Amino acid sequence: MNARTLACVCATMGLILVSGSAASNARAASPPTLSIVSPANNAVIGNGSPVAVVFVASNFNLTAPGTGSSSPNAGHVEVSVDGSWTSHVSVNAFRLSLASGPHTILLRLVMDNGTGLTPDVAQFVSVTVTRGPAAGPPGLSIAFPKEDAVLGTDLYVSYRVVNFVLVPPGGPAAPNEGHIHVLVDGAFFQELTDYQPVHLGLPDGPHNVTLQLVDSLHGPLSPDVSASAHFTVRALVGRVILVDFTTYFGVTNVGLAFAIIALMYRKLEA
Amino acid sequence: MARGLTPTRRTAIPHDRAIAVAWILLLGLVGFCVANPFVAAAGPTLVVVSPADGTVVGNGTPITVDFLVSNFVLAQPGRVGQIGSPTEGHVDVYVDGAYTWMATQVEPIVLPLASGPHTILLRLVMDNGTALTPDVSASVRVVATHGPAAGIPTIAIVSPRPGQLTGHDVYVSVEVSNFTFVDAHGQPNAPNEGHVELFLAGVLRQDLSRYDTGFLVDLPDGNNTITARLVNNDHTPLTPDVSASVTITVKGASVSVLSETMSGGIALLLAAILVVLLIRRRKALARIAKERNPKP
Repeated sequence: MNARTLACVCATMGLILVSGSAASNARAASPPTLSIVSPANNAVIGNGSPVAVVFVASNFNLTAPGTGSSSPNAGHVEVSVDGSWTSHVSVNAFRLSLASGPHTILLRLVMDNGTGLTPDVAQFVSVTVTRGPAAGPPGLSIAFPKEDAVLGTDLYVSYRVVNFVLVPPGGPAAPNEGHIHVLVDGAFFQELTDYQPVHLGLPDGPHNVTLQLVDSLHGPLSPDVSASAHFTVRALVGRVILVDFTTYFGVTNVGLAFAIIALMYRKLEA
Repeated sequence: MARGLTPTRRTAIPHDRAIAVAWILLLGLVGFCVANPFVAAAGPTLVVVSPADGTVVGNGTPITVDFLVSNFVLAQPGRVGQIGSPTEGHVDVYVDGAYTWMATQVEPIVLPLASGPHTILLRLVMDNGTALTPDVSASVRVVATHGPAAGIPTIAIVSPRPGQLTGHDVYVSVEVSNFTFVDAHGQPNAPNEGHVELFLAGVLRQDLSRYDTGFLVDLPDGNNTITARLVNNDHTPLTPDVSASVTITVKGASVSVLSETMSGGIALLLAAILVVLLIRRRKALARIAKERNPKP
């Protein structure tokens, strides 16, 4: 191997080393990224469960605040809910207890001293929390009274609800939660915010009761979910009356009326 | 020379053969190790230590999953300078098929679960989230309930007592054990949780979602049988059936029917009018007779 060949080999090796070093530096300089793995955007979190948030930060070392150096590749995650700072986390999974309704969860990578990265590295996800089930169409049925029943003046209406949780009104509307509007003979009667039967005292005659699921803002669900029962109230139904003289009195009345008329007629004749 | 060379050749040939055999054996051993990963390195394993499969977790408590990992290093994904390796990564947790949690350390995973049966799956994945080849995962089935995890539910009607004479409205008090009342809103069934249904003569009258007193109104006169039954969240009876019945006698105050009273009153009025008319008629007849036959 002569000197020229040796120089070429050295130059080639030098170029390779330089290019490798440059590539390595390029890899090391990759900016941090952040992605939210769970929940999915616009997910509905049911049963009032806390929201489990799982994220992945790349090119970034998660360290507990105050334990690392303030470098742009190490730090923790600041968590904000609906624009308000909530907590900071240094693990890839955490839970948030949120009230019913829609929420926006924002995650932001920050350095150990709490300052944001430049450029800002953040991700957000929108979720809706409900105390009801996360999925399934709501349903409502009346268990008692049955259709066309004959009942006494005093009665209770029992109902059954599926895929819907009764909560006091007033909060933001959330899927599969709300309360029940009770209408008797088409007129508003009561709100049910609890699983209690409806107590009614109605006059004799035909009646109907309608139960309607509504959201926390009193708006009907879409599509509407309601159930109705038609029944007849007859006072003293089911009461044992030993002897009922109504019929006999009626016949007697008719006879007496005829007798009076006859008597008056004869009196006039007289 | 030819003679002198002969012994040397005789001794050299076995030495070369020994070296060749050694090389063949070494290559064979290396090949065997490469072909057999068990010899090369034991693969990652994952074991769920608790809960045991089929465990019932009672009282609405979150489920704590303990697991062990071997031949696998759990690490935060995305660390600076991290190089993907099939022996490093994290644990992905799925509940009923839905991605739920990520574990980057061997520590208990706490999962708040709704009532009902659930399947919890843990899977080892590499730092970039891809599953190992072959897949390394472990699953466990559990049942969550708001009720007690064990025990047989019972129910008894405390009031009214059998044969009790009552009015038309009756409060019904029940005593329940090993059973928790929950609102039934269509959630899955779970052991030892649900509500009570009150039946009158076999007809459902009321659901009790709370440990509260039932109130049955307008019971008909006579003997009435009240049944209280423990039911699941979907309103089906427990298996075996858990219910209690009591027969009472309803006897209200003597009843006066309005129509009867009105008819009787009218009859009385008409009779009075008739009597008056008759008296007046008799008087009139007497007066006429007196006028026609005046006394001398």
